[in-house]
Amino acid sequence: MTPFRELDPLLHSQLRLAIMSILISVDSADFIYLREKTDATAGNLSVQIGKLKEAGYISVKKSFGESYPQTMCRITDLGRQRFAEYVAALKDYLRV
Amino acid sequence: MENEEKLMTGEESLRVISDMISKTRVSVTQASFHLLLWGWLIFACSLSEFLLWKYAGWADSWYVWFAVIAGVVASFAYGFAKGKRERIFTYGTKIYVWTWIAFFWASVIFFIVFPLETGDVAKYMLLMAGIPLLISGVVLNFRPMMLGAAAFWLLALVAHFGGDTVSGLAMPAAMIIGYLIPGYLLRKRGSHDTFQGA
Repeated sequence: MTPFRELDPLLHSQLRLAIMSILISVDSADFIYLREKTDATAGNLSVQIGKLKEAGYISVKKSFGESYPQTMCRITDLGRQRFAEYVAALKDYLRV
Repeated sequence: MENEEKLMTGEESLRVISDMISKTRVSVTQASFHLLLWGWLIFACSLSEFLLWKYAGWADSWYVWFAVIAGVVASFAYGFAKGKRERIFTYGTKIYVWTWIAFFWASVIFFIVFPLETGDVAKYMLLMAGIPLLISGVVLNFRPMMLGAAAFWLLALVAHFGGDTVSGLAMPAAMIIGYLIPGYLLRKRGSHDTFQGA
């Protein structure tokens, strides 16, 4: 019997997986957009973005919009690779 | 999503992934603005050039095309201001924007470098403009733009093979079919409407 591939613990958390799922399907998205789509609190979202950034899964660029600061997040090549591995492991686990 | 370390079952993970991906969509508000701006501007320039040449006998009626410079400024200013406010960039948006920027630079080179050799530019412009229009229609999954592109190419043939009068009306007709009708249809869908991103 083939052993199950281990699920990446960094991605196997609801909010971080939600952030990565959004970023995998777009070029880039800002903090407010991510907060609206994930329905998370600003503080929680900020912490999870920090963890993903620290792991090198996403890049974060801060700039000043029209009259407010803007934080744009973008998935990195490493993040894309880890996400693909996570989905493959998940399929393995679910036998789909 | 309040629990910052909430672990999930495999099924929950799949649901999160598919839910989030389905929420990323392309806004169409910019698309309708540019179609209407350029549709009306090119329609007015091409029709007035034709009428001034045909009925007023003004040989240099092509001067009306200098109005395009104002259109370029307005288009870039609007695009830049809207772009700064955008909270998400999908791959569809990226393809859409860069296809039109590529068309813009190709047109600049065309007008600066080749005007004397080409003579009548309408047919060449229609051939070129059909490409970004078709790609935009595909990206937005919006059939009127795709049909508009087909009309551009047919009207390029009309501009080439038609007589003086028919050729002169090919460009204004193309603007109505390819830019203005799709532009108003897009606007009618409203600023809240979105298409699934590519």
